[in-house]
Amino acid sequence: MSITRRTFSALGLAAATGIFALPALAQDRPAPFDNAADVQIALVRYLSTGDFFQAYLAGVESQAKALGVDLRVLDSRQDAALQADMVDQAIALGVDGIIIQHGLTESMKEAAQRAVDAGIKVVAFDVNVENEAIPQIEQSDRDLARLALEQAIEDNGEAWKAAYVYVAGIAPLDRRDETWREFKERYSGIEEVAMFGTLDNPIANSVANQARSVLTANPGIQVVFAPYDEFAKGVKIAVDEAGLSSDIKIYSADISTADISAMREPGSAWVATAATNPAVVGQVSVRALAMMLAGEEPGASVIVPPTLITQAELNDSDIKNMEELSAKMPQFNHADVAMPAWMPNPNE
Amino acid sequence: MADTVIRYGFLALLAALIVFFAFAAPGFASPQSAVFIFQSVAITGILALGVTATLVVGGFDLSIGSVATSAMMAAAYAMVVLEQNALVAVLFCLAIGALVGLVNGIIIVYMRVPDLLATLGMMFLLVGLQRIPTEGRSIATGMTMPDGSTATGTFSPNFLALGRHRLDFFIDNLLPVSVVVLLVLAVLIWFFLEFTRFGRMMYAVGSNEKAAELAGTPVKAYKIWAYVISGVFASIGGILLAARLGRGDIASGNNLLLDSVAAALIGFAVLGAAKPNAFGTAIGALFVGVLLQGLTMMNAPYYTQDFVKGAVLVVALVFTFALSNRAR
Amino acid sequence: MEAMFRIAGLEKAFGPIRVLSDVDLELRAGEVTVLMGANGAGKSTLVKVISGVHARDRGTMHLSGEPFDPASPAEAIRAGVVTVHQNINDGVVAALDVATNLTMDRLTGKGAPLLFNPRRVRREARAVADRLGLQVNLSASISELSLADRQMVAIARAMAHEPKVMILDEPTSSLSSAEANRLFAVVERLREHGVAILYISHRMSDIRRIADRIVALRDGVIAGVFADKPLDYEGAVDAMLGRAMDLSTVSVKDATRTVFEAKGLRIASQTRPFSLALGDGEVVAITGLVGVGKTALAETLFGVRRPLGGTMTLEGREYRPRSPADAIEGGVFLVAKDRAESGIVADFNLYKNVSLPFLRRLARLGVSQPRAERAIARRQIEELGIVCRGERDRMQTLSGGNQQKVMVARWTSQPSSLLILDEPFQGVDIAARRDIAAKLRAGAAGRATLLFLTELDEALETADRILVMSEHTIVGEHRNAGLDMDRLLAQVAGEDIRGAA
Repeated sequence: MSITRRTFSALGLAAATGIFALPALAQDRPAPFDNAADVQIALVRYLSTGDFFQAYLAGVESQAKALGVDLRVLDSRQDAALQADMVDQAIALGVDGIIIQHGLTESMKEAAQRAVDAGIKVVAFDVNVENEAIPQIEQSDRDLARLALEQAIEDNGEAWKAAYVYVAGIAPLDRRDETWREFKERYSGIEEVAMFGTLDNPIANSVANQARSVLTANPGIQVVFAPYDEFAKGVKIAVDEAGLSSDIKIYSADISTADISAMREPGSAWVATAATNPAVVGQVSVRALAMMLAGEEPGASVIVPPTLITQAELNDSDIKNMEELSAKMPQFNHADVAMPAWMPNPNE
Repeated sequence: MADTVIRYGFLALLAALIVFFAFAAPGFASPQSAVFIFQSVAITGILALGVTATLVVGGFDLSIGSVATSAMMAAAYAMVVLEQNALVAVLFCLAIGALVGLVNGIIIVYMRVPDLLATLGMMFLLVGLQRIPTEGRSIATGMTMPDGSTATGTFSPNFLALGRHRLDFFIDNLLPVSVVVLLVLAVLIWFFLEFTRFGRMMYAVGSNEKAAELAGTPVKAYKIWAYVISGVFASIGGILLAARLGRGDIASGNNLLLDSVAAALIGFAVLGAAKPNAFGTAIGALFVGVLLQGLTMMNAPYYTQDFVKGAVLVVALVFTFALSNRAR
Repeated sequence: MEAMFRIAGLEKAFGPIRVLSDVDLELRAGEVTVLMGANGAGKSTLVKVISGVHARDRGTMHLSGEPFDPASPAEAIRAGVVTVHQNINDGVVAALDVATNLTMDRLTGKGAPLLFNPRRVRREARAVADRLGLQVNLSASISELSLADRQMVAIARAMAHEPKVMILDEPTSSLSSAEANRLFAVVERLREHGVAILYISHRMSDIRRIADRIVALRDGVIAGVFADKPLDYEGAVDAMLGRAMDLSTVSVKDATRTVFEAKGLRIASQTRPFSLALGDGEVVAITGLVGVGKTALAETLFGVRRPLGGTMTLEGREYRPRSPADAIEGGVFLVAKDRAESGIVADFNLYKNVSLPFLRRLARLGVSQPRAERAIARRQIEELGIVCRGERDRMQTLSGGNQQKVMVARWTSQPSSLLILDEPFQGVDIAARRDIAAKLRAGAAGRATLLFLTELDEALETADRILVMSEHTIVGEHRNAGLDMDRLLAQVAGEDIRGAA
């Protein structure tokens, strides 16, 4: 299963990138990017507060700058109706391309169609607008979970007692959950002795309280799979408080500066996390849109591959924050997705 | 008979619950488990004790959750960005709590804004304010500041000890500092409300403001003090939260607010008090802690826990209002 | 002349308390009958029986010769008996405009049209307004109107029912005198329309202005009917307040030393300043009708409000309390009017209620001393003869008289220079009232005691000296021994303002 998946994404990657070529200069770029200053693109956002979205925006900005295009950012701050209005606003502005970042299918479907009808190229990140003309930019939640769990198998063998942190009904967590189920089926030695989770904020504090109870009630847990960094942080607190840091390993998804310091604490039980760099996702969003504007096909779905980050790697390279992570782990800093020969690399 | 039920019903329920979990959930009946229950309710319990003070004067404080999370951010900011030591961070948080309480009190007492509305406004204000210094980022060592520089400060070990250090109590490394803080504050506020003239006058203000005023009580001052107490307690909760998490997380603190208000309201039912009281609040917080700990140990999913929490609150309120009114 | 509305032998009791007994009353078409009565005399109960809120226990009511037996206020209104209540905002809907208010009853009544036709509403409203000569912008919202205009709208709205009997319950209580004049003009119009009007008021100036007849109600009984012109206003006040014939209970003492003195005191704007001196050991009662400023004076002495002018001295020193706490500190105590609202702390038991103002004195290093508080409460229970099981009783378990005794016990538990009691006998049975009065007199030495009493009886029973208040000033002073009752009543009725100066 994992092999086919990997093959598929590799194929997609090859299709998306086309044939590699030497780095190109601006005048070699296809129209309209031979005169990029006249190209205007809009980023229409639904979610914007928090580290992830901040970094995503930074990625969009850096790629837009590398291309030399004019970027407009329209932020609806979690107002679905306003977001649809903002798409219309972008159409009225006469932009060439639109990136829709999150949102609700119901409110965005028609607005997106109006933009396509107006001859505007559109890509969507993490929102399904049910439109064949609009490629989906995705970070693969299944791959995130898979990378973390493969590491768990590598570290602990194929049989262990596990606790699993999960809250149903949250789309990315549901997708990560599918992978967890597949792993449990494939490796009969994995025994899930407890499942818990909550989104009461501060999430880490609430999860820590639950995890303490779970660890007390179920001695002998070796692995906690917490596929969301807030969950992992909470579990780590509970493991520390219970004095079990050397007996339990935590595997998670996502990463932030705070997570890096938590993973690097001496004797930390948090050994690995799989993450997609939100800045890279932002860059890929712009690149996919640029390919469409140049008349190329990025593919129906553009998947940004995640990276596995282990405690050992962080310690070996002495990585303290997201910037250092980007600098010292090239595979985290750049994805060869939607990278035709003429596309400038924002990190160079 | 009815009187006995009202007085001891809730305590009996708590005892029954503990016995039930001791048999149903392996590992529940241990000193570590007991300490952990206290630890899990330490933060909401402290907030609940603070809100009890405002309930006593007939007010309400909806801003405690966001005061706590703002204090958490402030502590992180003081240490990570401003590179201050633990003492400065703690004093900074306490000052914020006292200031917010003072502002709440002044708005309510002098501007005559109804308490729920004033503290609701303050809640939103703080949720926004805590994001301003870092432009919405969570605070952790090595974070990138809005101006592009990197914050190099770290959480002081002394500060983290507030959330992580354990004192020896019969068993080595048993009692976390946060539990000690909870117990000390609970005893303090209980003594203050029940045995000092200040507490007595606060109850008088809550029961009949006009009568209290005509008996020479400086009603306005007492009301403001109640909000200051509430703000300071909430900021202590925030300090412990920061010490436990080891970073400054953006959070509204709404769940902290709801849990602590629930604890204070459950407290009405304890010993048939039918009014806000510190002992009841502490028992109420403990009750919620025992329930959640037991249910989690029995692998109950999170939504059943919310359901049970709500059910307990409803039963407690019925105890308080229906039964105690009948006895009158 | 045949009466439009006739009540005979009416009785009404709430539980064991008989509020109205054997009331006979006639209202005639085109006449204003004024109903006078002190607080608790049964005026509002009578109004509620007539307007269909309460059912009567016994007696008959006839409207235009037909038996009148309303089961609800709506039924009374349909029969033609309309009441405009004291609280103006009960009579109008503030969120709607004047036109809608004037026609609202038709909108909600049976057979009202389903659709709302603004033009028809406007037309009908205009007709209603014209009948009373009402000059109000019909499209204005009620909330933009003055109190007087709202009152007019409420009356006009009542007029839309074409009533035979209209009851106006203290309609001028929140109006200025200019506004009241407009109201009287409307009442004149009603009279011309042949409406029988029952007008309830305390204000002598109103009564002089519009009364055709006066009926005085006292303790649930009609104490006098005055119909002969010129009307005998003093007689009416006398009948309303009653007069104790047995004055032997008071052996009048004269003060030796002045404890409290006020000079040129003014407690309301545009009133005459007055002076006041209270001596050690004497019990002084200030009497007067409701709304003449008795409570305002009590609150001024106790630091709840500031005087507009004048000086006060207490024990020879200047006295300027900024708050009740100040007053208490200086030795001035107040047993406030309406104990449930401004005296009793319902969540506290008996002893905590007694000690409340004195916690600062009783506490040690801020820690309260329940043992001492309870000892004081026990002593006071003994002293005042409070009927209870013990000092830890809940206040709700005590009778009204005993609750009032607790309030008196509170303020006599520590020595004072000036003890003020505002309507201390309200809702108190006669036995408790005698008890309290006796204790006040017995403990009067060492302080000045000042009572504010609407009921003349109570003043005559308890005081050494009686001062009369009218229009926010003191208009008369009487030593309670062989006093000139006629003159006193005239002062209460507001006739002797200049004479007393």
